[in-house]
Amino acid sequence: MGSPVKKIMLCSSEKEIFSVEEQVMVQHSVIINNMIEDGSYNHEESKIPLDCVDSKTLKKVIDYCTHHTHHHNDNQEDLEAWDAQFLNVDSNGLYDLLMAANYLEIRNLLDLIYGTIKNMIKGKKIDEIRRIFNIKDHGFTPEEEEQNRKEYPHFY
Amino acid sequence: MNILPVELIHRIFLRVPAKHLAGLRYVSKLWYSLISDPHFAELHFHHSPASTNACFVIEKGTVAYFVDLDALFSDNNDALQVRKVSPRFKMESPPHFEVLGSCRGFVLLHQHESFLVVWNPLTGSSKLISHSHIASRFKHKGWLPWEDHPYGFGYDASQDDYLVVVPWHDKHGQDHFDCFSLRTNSWIDFNAALPKPLGFLHWHSPGLFFNGAIHWVPSILNDYRDAILIFDLKERTFSMISVPEQLETRSWIYSGLALLGGCLALYNRNIGRVKTEIWVMKEYKVHSSWTLYQIPTFDFRPLYLSSAMDLIGKRYTPDKSEFYIYNLREERLQHFKYPSFPGAAFEADAVYTESLLPLPSDIKDKDEEGEKGHQFLHDFFEQLDVAKG
Repeated sequence: MGSPVKKIMLCSSEKEIFSVEEQVMVQHSVIINNMIEDGSYNHEESKIPLDCVDSKTLKKVIDYCTHHTHHHNDNQEDLEAWDAQFLNVDSNGLYDLLMAANYLEIRNLLDLIYGTIKNMIKGKKIDEIRRIFNIKDHGFTPEEEEQNRKEYPHFY
Repeated sequence: MNILPVELIHRIFLRVPAKHLAGLRYVSKLWYSLISDPHFAELHFHHSPASTNACFVIEKGTVAYFVDLDALFSDNNDALQVRKVSPRFKMESPPHFEVLGSCRGFVLLHQHESFLVVWNPLTGSSKLISHSHIASRFKHKGWLPWEDHPYGFGYDASQDDYLVVVPWHDKHGQDHFDCFSLRTNSWIDFNAALPKPLGFLHWHSPGLFFNGAIHWVPSILNDYRDAILIFDLKERTFSMISVPEQLETRSWIYSGLALLGGCLALYNRNIGRVKTEIWVMKEYKVHSSWTLYQIPTFDFRPLYLSSAMDLIGKRYTPDKSEFYIYNLREERLQHFKYPSFPGAAFEADAVYTESLLPLPSDIKDKDEEGEKGHQFLHDFFEQLDVAKG
């Protein structure tokens, strides 16, 4: 047997510690890769604090990176099915994942989420989009809003 | 969902096709300003993986139709919608528009005897251009003949300017090319010498904008030599190139230009033949690179070539025009019952990549802050381009 799998510690906003294979995170997160490469992570003592990522989201992010590390040779169809299942979350969950992927710079996960949000937008009416994106104050004056609704009724 | 940071909204928008973004402008004032931003529009036009190509048709001059060419490949029939847009600019009675060219999501239209108009159908941005100063000096007063004249519309990246080229004869029988600059909002003088007397007769209109230049071919080819006229918008000079020697040049063969897969293409509407010949110049201005494709149907006008070598074309019959796809690899022809347009055998149309770009006159002062704010977008695209390899 080879040397034991190297692990790193990630710490969520609730201070919960997650122990993850180093290779899994290095392969996917630009930020963690940089930390390991420049030696700012000490394997004996360091924990990487992720103050803006909660435990639930961090667990999902780790799931994603782990699956894509160990199954990258799977056929495209299986991977896409797994990704679809993985992103079957409500819009708040999607938002949390997006913020975490952005913070950790996990490019393929970011692409996946952008694509999902893009599909949420496509072909939707404006009122529905405002609801999805929680836009309460659209910023148009009542006159402008009325004018837009009158001129482009098919968008609303 | 919580409110997304602007930077992330931007990145999502870059993946959304321009035609959807046009409607999303009305979601909120913030979205409106993000989508309408000229820098964003420019980046979206050049880098978005979701660029869409439309075929624009004006039927009877009052309503414009847009056929989403990419959707023709889709199995999803809902995607195949024909959008209908009524131009917002003033239309005189009876409205009768001709399509004279397209460039960067804009189309150049001409209304008989009154004005030219540059229009982005997606954003509604438009600009009227009066040609009254030319009209007064016309050979035939007050009449700007559009047919068989080499009109053109293009973009000069070195000046960030759109140019409209208007050919005309004066009272003394002299040929002129006049050029309107949309940036300076004025007609500009240039003394470019034509390579040979054109006579302006039988030139296929509209000119095709490609590679910083406008290209024209005579509608009836008499000689393969120096057959394509090119006007370079940056240098403001004319040049000519030859078409393949093998091309039949006879009076009943009508030719035209198209942009297929990023290459200049010449097609023959060979009346009375069963095949349409399409010659593609694989390398720009390299004569030996002309390559022949034959489509097993007559009067097939090529519009657009996909990366899967699917060639979309239109066929005209006396009572309607219809869309076809011919796969060049598998040599398979497929006919679309829908969309089809009734009437006009030679209706005015143009193929272009849709954009959210504004006209120079729409852009107020570009301030320093705005430039800086977009640095992250530039960085993002560098990454994206690297990733695309």
